[in-house]
Amino acid sequence: MPRFLREFFNRNGVGMGSLMLALVLFWTVGLIILPQLSMLDFSFRPNLPPPEIGGPKDVYTVENYKYLIFGPEGGSQDYNAVDLRVFYRTLIAAVFVTLFNLVLCYPIAYYLAQTKGNHIRIFALMLIIPYWINEILRAFALRIIFGETGVLNNALVGLGIFDTPFDFIRNDIALYAGLGYAYILLMIFPIYNVIESLDRNQIEAARDMGASWPMIHRRVVIPYAKPGISSGCTMVFMLSAGALAAPQILGGPSSLWFTQLIYQQFNDNSDWPQGAAYAVVLLVTCILLVLAVMRLFKVNMGDIGK
Amino acid sequence: MRSLSFMRVSIWVYLAIFFAYLLGPLVIMSITAFNSPEFPRATPWECLTFEWFAALFQDERILNGIKNSILVGAGTVVLSVAMGLAGALMLTQIWPKLRATYYTIIIAPILIPGVVIGISTLVFWDRINRMVGLGADSFLSNGLFLTVIGQSTFIASYCMLVLVARLQRYDTALTEAALDLGATHAQAFRKVLLPFMKPAIASAAVLAFLASFENYNTTTFTFGEYPTLTIELAQKVRYGITPAISALAFIIVVLTVFAALFNEANIRRKDLVAMARKDATVEELESGKFRVPGFLSSNWAAVALVVMACATVVVVGTATVYSPAQCIADVQEQKRIETELRIQELRQRRAEEAARKAAEEAETAPKPQAAPSGNNSGFGGVFSPNALTGSGEEEESKAPEAEDSNNSGFGNVFAPSGLSGD
Repeated sequence: MPRFLREFFNRNGVGMGSLMLALVLFWTVGLIILPQLSMLDFSFRPNLPPPEIGGPKDVYTVENYKYLIFGPEGGSQDYNAVDLRVFYRTLIAAVFVTLFNLVLCYPIAYYLAQTKGNHIRIFALMLIIPYWINEILRAFALRIIFGETGVLNNALVGLGIFDTPFDFIRNDIALYAGLGYAYILLMIFPIYNVIESLDRNQIEAARDMGASWPMIHRRVVIPYAKPGISSGCTMVFMLSAGALAAPQILGGPSSLWFTQLIYQQFNDNSDWPQGAAYAVVLLVTCILLVLAVMRLFKVNMGDIGK
Repeated sequence: MRSLSFMRVSIWVYLAIFFAYLLGPLVIMSITAFNSPEFPRATPWECLTFEWFAALFQDERILNGIKNSILVGAGTVVLSVAMGLAGALMLTQIWPKLRATYYTIIIAPILIPGVVIGISTLVFWDRINRMVGLGADSFLSNGLFLTVIGQSTFIASYCMLVLVARLQRYDTALTEAALDLGATHAQAFRKVLLPFMKPAIASAAVLAFLASFENYNTTTFTFGEYPTLTIELAQKVRYGITPAISALAFIIVVLTVFAALFNEANIRRKDLVAMARKDATVEELESGKFRVPGFLSSNWAAVALVVMACATVVVVGTATVYSPAQCIADVQEQKRIETELRIQELRQRRAEEAARKAAEEAETAPKPQAAPSGNNSGFGGVFSPNALTGSGEEEESKAPEAEDSNNSGFGNVFAPSGLSGD
């Protein structure tokens, strides 16, 4: 038995130690690593009926990835324009949702963290309550508001701003509002946590030196809050790029989200390997994007989740 | 000075807009739960009704979904709190060189899209199932099992984060002392570490249950034969929405507010009691004269809680005796009249157009002979005065009756009484 393992059992006892080790191994290997590898492996295989799996036809192939880029074999187009456009649009939209949330939430997080008093606790409660409501119901609430006969259209037409109801759903405004709405809390809390520990004296000092408000934020608060900001942005980006409920409920009929394509491959086309390939592409692209941005802003992985 | 007050005002305006965006949708959705139209809408307000709550409680699928959600939630809480605690303990002990890698692995599920977790769980356990040689209906491809496993993958990470925060303040000397005094490892764990971790375990369990209850992305791939409440809701919302869903949302909102206020009231009360104890003199404490502050004194959360509880009782009381039938009938009557007017207008316009066309035709060509029998014009007797007195549906059936009295090309369109309508 290696030394560190013996030490581990000495410290925790054989029974407790093995239980702990078993749980951790089950979680990390059985639930996290192996399923992801299994999905990766699956994405390189052809779509076969169950009896043929493991048979002679079950060989590795890159067909599923080729399909995403070039479309069905012998298709009329050189590229799979539909799916690629959905993929591209999903990523761009997720970036915009993230930026929108950051701009919206930074002042709130700053205000909540730097102000003392009873009303702050009320604000915190009001922030948390929407987050406890089901994701589906939140999307549903926005659909009631943005619908053709919804409150917003009634108000806008009633005020005479628009002559006819504006189709928020077809124009994807409802979708972006819904995605932004869903992940507000995940942006506020990391930023709030970091700014709360910022010594107010630093801000006072900067002000005494004659720095303007924008300057104080640019030179003092934002550099300090960088881990929180990057943590919030990473979570919001990954979650909105991987969102499924909001696009299904709030998305326009003609515009799909990439996760909806994956869902269709699994549930409507019963083409699991194809769906797995799309999922791998989504996962890898998102991770690479996040890592690139983190490298750009010099943030560590260890800061995430603090 | 002026710029400072300007800043204050803009901060408050910003806060107002922000919270309107955050809470407005929930408020409007709650209002639609009490409005009578079939399609959930807050405006125009028609009738106060509680029928959507009744409809909700009669919906088999929703009730079944709630049952499945609770089953899945219980399983997920047990599994993910256990794994989260083990993972957190391991994080404090692991070999420093492995620490960063290990942390990345156990934090990764939070960042992996839920869809990907769902798919990988499904694919992986399907493969295990095949490797073991079990059939398609085995335990390993059971919807409940897969959903619990899939959800626990990332919910355990949330639990781990909550537990690690408390574990960092744990003094390992306490465990060592217990061991020195002859406790076994299991005893030291149960009697020393576990009581210390209890508050964090409780919050991790609540968090895990809520996360499990509202999860959609992962569950939608794994649920199999056991659709959870969220899945049922999503299917309902995608294929036609009714205010019954608003009613469910309203119930959840109220429960959430209750829980939040209760929690807040408790915290405030603890603070107040601690403060009162600190201020009290030694004699007061010793003689037993020390008075614990009342539950409601200077505790806004407790006051709000009591007010809300009263409001709930009043609303439920009203709901049991209130009947919106009369109001709904009135609104229907009004709608009927409106529809009738609209139909009438439309018909009138069409008739006018036809008249104009006919007049043009009459100018160019000789007027055709009178109709051979009764009424063969396209408009029948629709516009005869007595046809308009009936309700919308009866209108068509009454029209033929009017036919024999009317054999001119356009009925009585141009008769003054035909236009007045009532």
